[in-house]
Amino acid sequence: MAEGFDIDHLAKLSRLSLTPEEKALYSSQLNSIIGHFQALAQADLPTSIDDARVVRESALRSDVPGPSLGAEAVTRIAPASRDGQISVPRVVDDEA
Amino acid sequence: MAETLHTLSAAELGRRLTAGALTSRALCEALIARYDVLNEKVGAFTHLDRANVLAQADASDARRQAGQGRGPLEGIPVAIKDNIAVKGQPLTCSSKMLASLVSPYDSHVAERLRAAGAILYGRLNMDEFAMGSSTENSAVRKTFNPWDLTRIPGGSSGGSAAALAAGLVPLSLGSDTGGSIRQPASHCGVVGLKPTYGLVSRFGLVAFASSLDQIGPMARSVEDCELLLAALASADARDMTCFSSDERALTAAGEAKKLRIGIPKGFLGKGVAPEVAAAVNAAIEFYRAQGCAVSEVELPSADLAVPTYYVVATAEASSNLGRYDGVRYGHRSAQASTPVEMMTNSRSEGFGAEVKRRILLGTFVLSAGYADAYYNRALRARAKIRAEYLAALSQVDVLLTPTVPTPAFKVGEKAADPLQLYLEDIFTIPANLAGLPALSVPCGQSGHLPVGFHLVGAPLSEAKLLAAGRLFEAAHGFAHQQAAL
Amino acid sequence: MSSSSDWEVVIGLEVHVQLHTRAKVFASSSWGFGQEPNEQVDPVVLGLPGTLPVVNREAVEKSILFGLVVGAEIPAHCSWDRKNYFYPDNPKNYQLTQKDFPVVIGGSVEIELPGPSRNVMGEHKHVRIHHAHLEEDVGKLSHAGSGSLVDYNRAGVPLLEIVTEPDLRSSAEAEAFLRSLVAMLTQAGVADCDMEKGQLRCDCNVSIRHPGAPLGTRTETKNLNSISSVRDTVIFETARQVRELEAGRTITQETRGWNADLGRGYVLRDKEDAHDYRYFPDPDIPTLELSRATVERLAKQVPENLYDRQRRYMDTLGLPFTAASVLVANRELAEWFELSVAAHPANPQGIANLVANDLLRDLSAAVGSTTGFDEAAPAPVSLSSCPIKPAQLAGLVKLTDEGVISKQQAKEVFAEMFKSGQDAAAIVDAKGLRQNSDTGELEKIVQEVIADPAVAKSIAEYRAGNEKAINALKGPIMKRTQGKANPGLIDQLLRKALG
Repeated sequence: MAEGFDIDHLAKLSRLSLTPEEKALYSSQLNSIIGHFQALAQADLPTSIDDARVVRESALRSDVPGPSLGAEAVTRIAPASRDGQISVPRVVDDEA
Repeated sequence: MAETLHTLSAAELGRRLTAGALTSRALCEALIARYDVLNEKVGAFTHLDRANVLAQADASDARRQAGQGRGPLEGIPVAIKDNIAVKGQPLTCSSKMLASLVSPYDSHVAERLRAAGAILYGRLNMDEFAMGSSTENSAVRKTFNPWDLTRIPGGSSGGSAAALAAGLVPLSLGSDTGGSIRQPASHCGVVGLKPTYGLVSRFGLVAFASSLDQIGPMARSVEDCELLLAALASADARDMTCFSSDERALTAAGEAKKLRIGIPKGFLGKGVAPEVAAAVNAAIEFYRAQGCAVSEVELPSADLAVPTYYVVATAEASSNLGRYDGVRYGHRSAQASTPVEMMTNSRSEGFGAEVKRRILLGTFVLSAGYADAYYNRALRARAKIRAEYLAALSQVDVLLTPTVPTPAFKVGEKAADPLQLYLEDIFTIPANLAGLPALSVPCGQSGHLPVGFHLVGAPLSEAKLLAAGRLFEAAHGFAHQQAAL
Repeated sequence: MSSSSDWEVVIGLEVHVQLHTRAKVFASSSWGFGQEPNEQVDPVVLGLPGTLPVVNREAVEKSILFGLVVGAEIPAHCSWDRKNYFYPDNPKNYQLTQKDFPVVIGGSVEIELPGPSRNVMGEHKHVRIHHAHLEEDVGKLSHAGSGSLVDYNRAGVPLLEIVTEPDLRSSAEAEAFLRSLVAMLTQAGVADCDMEKGQLRCDCNVSIRHPGAPLGTRTETKNLNSISSVRDTVIFETARQVRELEAGRTITQETRGWNADLGRGYVLRDKEDAHDYRYFPDPDIPTLELSRATVERLAKQVPENLYDRQRRYMDTLGLPFTAASVLVANRELAEWFELSVAAHPANPQGIANLVANDLLRDLSAAVGSTTGFDEAAPAPVSLSSCPIKPAQLAGLVKLTDEGVISKQQAKEVFAEMFKSGQDAAAIVDAKGLRQNSDTGELEKIVQEVIADPAVAKSIAEYRAGNEKAINALKGPIMKRTQGKANPGLIDQLLRKALG
């Protein structure tokens, strides 16, 4: 299972931009860490995972509306806002 | 009197406050004075709002005057790791990403502490987003081990442990995902408890790895740790993983001298420093001499714990940290013309190297084509480890090991090799994977550096761990110890 | 499109419907249409660090109720997963959804295709539901100049995603399915399905094949917000795929968008660009046990199936298809109708006629027109403010059946009832509309009228065999009785008097 990984793909999926030096460093470190993961590949493991915790419906929330932060509080902590909304660079259809 | 207040336990401070021999204001003023002298040196705190602390202290003194004291923590300062939300205070997780964030809400534990009359005292340094074992990954500052200022205090709750060891505060809160309370407690010679997963609400704890994270108490004595735990542990409908009132029946402590103690086979072998092994063996002999039954237990999948942990923890972290994108709060890059660029640049500028490394790793183990081999196998390994621990804990009451294989290392010593650093947590990780309570208690020294031992118990057996810790503590001189600064 | 007769279109739908709850699905913040931006946002919705989701019980129960409505299996457990992707409207950059253990498994929705004419019932068929899962909606993006603005009011609104098997074979079937689904969702109180408020959105999977051949490569057109968009997408996409294949090209598995203004689809991304969502079980929400007691309690809330009711109206009550289909389309109207029938069981057709025509017309006029997800459907009416009570309408039909008033007069009385809410009998008396059925008195009038020389010609014609000539005698009789004479009785007496 120790096939390589594509550091550029991982960076893109993670929304991180890496310098060439960072790419080289992380690639080598990840390789070493993933190498350590090989113990998992060889281990004899159970096929089913027992759920550590199951909750009943009593753990659910009642359908009772609670307070809102309000647009003022939301935009106060936002890096950029306009007219009660959070502003971002223009989104192109399905760009993400 | 003021010059010795910092040496007292929370329990003793509580007695003096109750007796009217001390006011919370006097206590807080003394601690602030000490902070002003020492924090620069130790680096435990990242933020202290003096006026706010004194206002809380005055309010506490007024309550007490009016006969409305709220219990044993009334007027006592508790310092809080900077990943636990307190309304109106910074919540930076020692990250550049959240440098400007002030929490608009209280965590459950903050509410509990307010309800107990405690003073919410300052923000403690940590590894960025709790990722690390040395507090070197803080984007704010370095924290140094009060016992040797050239060494790390451990991490990620390094500030929490160092503040106690330096006498800057009597009680502190840490969080523990793979050992982040217990490992720095061991390195700083203080007591730290990671509760059973679900005993303390995570509402308001900034998530690193949600299925492993747990808030816990840290103190200079087992008794103080227990005092703080009692205030923290309660049901909270805002955390579905937190036990409900009828699920949280704690196992009774029983008599400490009759505890059955299991020593996991091979754990005192390779990689454990001789002085650490000696101190822990002495603790084992102490318990045997007290009448405890000591036996060896098998935990065959112990070697899987570290890889399992790093797969599960980084997978969850990669998702938990997705929300930091510069859109709604936190750092936003000035260099961006599209949302993708904005998010990418904000994250690249806002996160430190260790956080990026773990996000990349977690993204990898969940990605298409690899999830089965890594993430899904890790879940199965986790189930196996948990089953083995529960089986062992049906034979014995507690498992005893060192907390950390080696004493605190020099600042910068292991920074270049993340894998070496990951192995610091080899003894503490299984309790997180299995959701079990675990306690680190000081038990000796390696040269001038503290060493702790580690107890793990069955779910909700905190009282047994604490009773065992108290028995040891009462017979040794490590309780209330502070570094000379 | 002659060549397309060789082709069979295969359609599967993913319908996202906002559930009828007051609070959001994992947070306590309220939601609803028409609020100022970001006024319905709490720390959990905003994904502030340290916040945690807690599942809304009502959202789970509404999901189960939907499952029971479509005869699905409600599993013993369900759980939530994280779907990871970055987008500014997605506050945590993961969406909580149910990938492996959804709350509803299987079931089917009965649909009715259009008949050959409006009065004739079309073919029925069952469309299988693969599963339905409970997830959270995302926020809304709008464009403003060089930037975009984000409003998180919609983020965290409970969404039930209903996924069908690829059982639909035409745009008409897709339309019929959506109509039936919307009726079932609204009649059970699961959802309001208001398109103007964006409460229902649909992803449409289309492929074509030769009948009997394996399934072809499908495309998915996302985010359709009306029945006509779904219909038009199926038509457009079928034609496009036929064109591609007949030109010797292949269909690419791709995600598409729909431009309703231009009436055409476009490629959003192909399979190469497919997202890697890195699903994994949400560690913040433990597996949820769905108790049988809850399922049994909710089963009692399931209304009678739309088409079971329609069959009952037609087979047992003898209603024509047109009236039956109008009544069953609105559960409240149907239940109102049934109460009325219970008060006067002798003439369900008479009651149906008044309810489906007069009552519905007057109620609709009061509501005005709105545009739903189904633009072709009449504006939904509410019976809650209806001035006429079911028993009152039954009283009106009974008066007609007993010959106290004529059918023509019944319309007039109905109009007055709708205005004033009075009982039919009271209106009939107040207006003096009660028909004269006093045989003795009428016989006297009949004798007087036929003695009048002015009608001698008509009498002669009648006696010569012109049946219609008798009608000329009825006018003067009605005039003398101020229109209160029972027309049937007059006819009878006239014929007797004229031998």
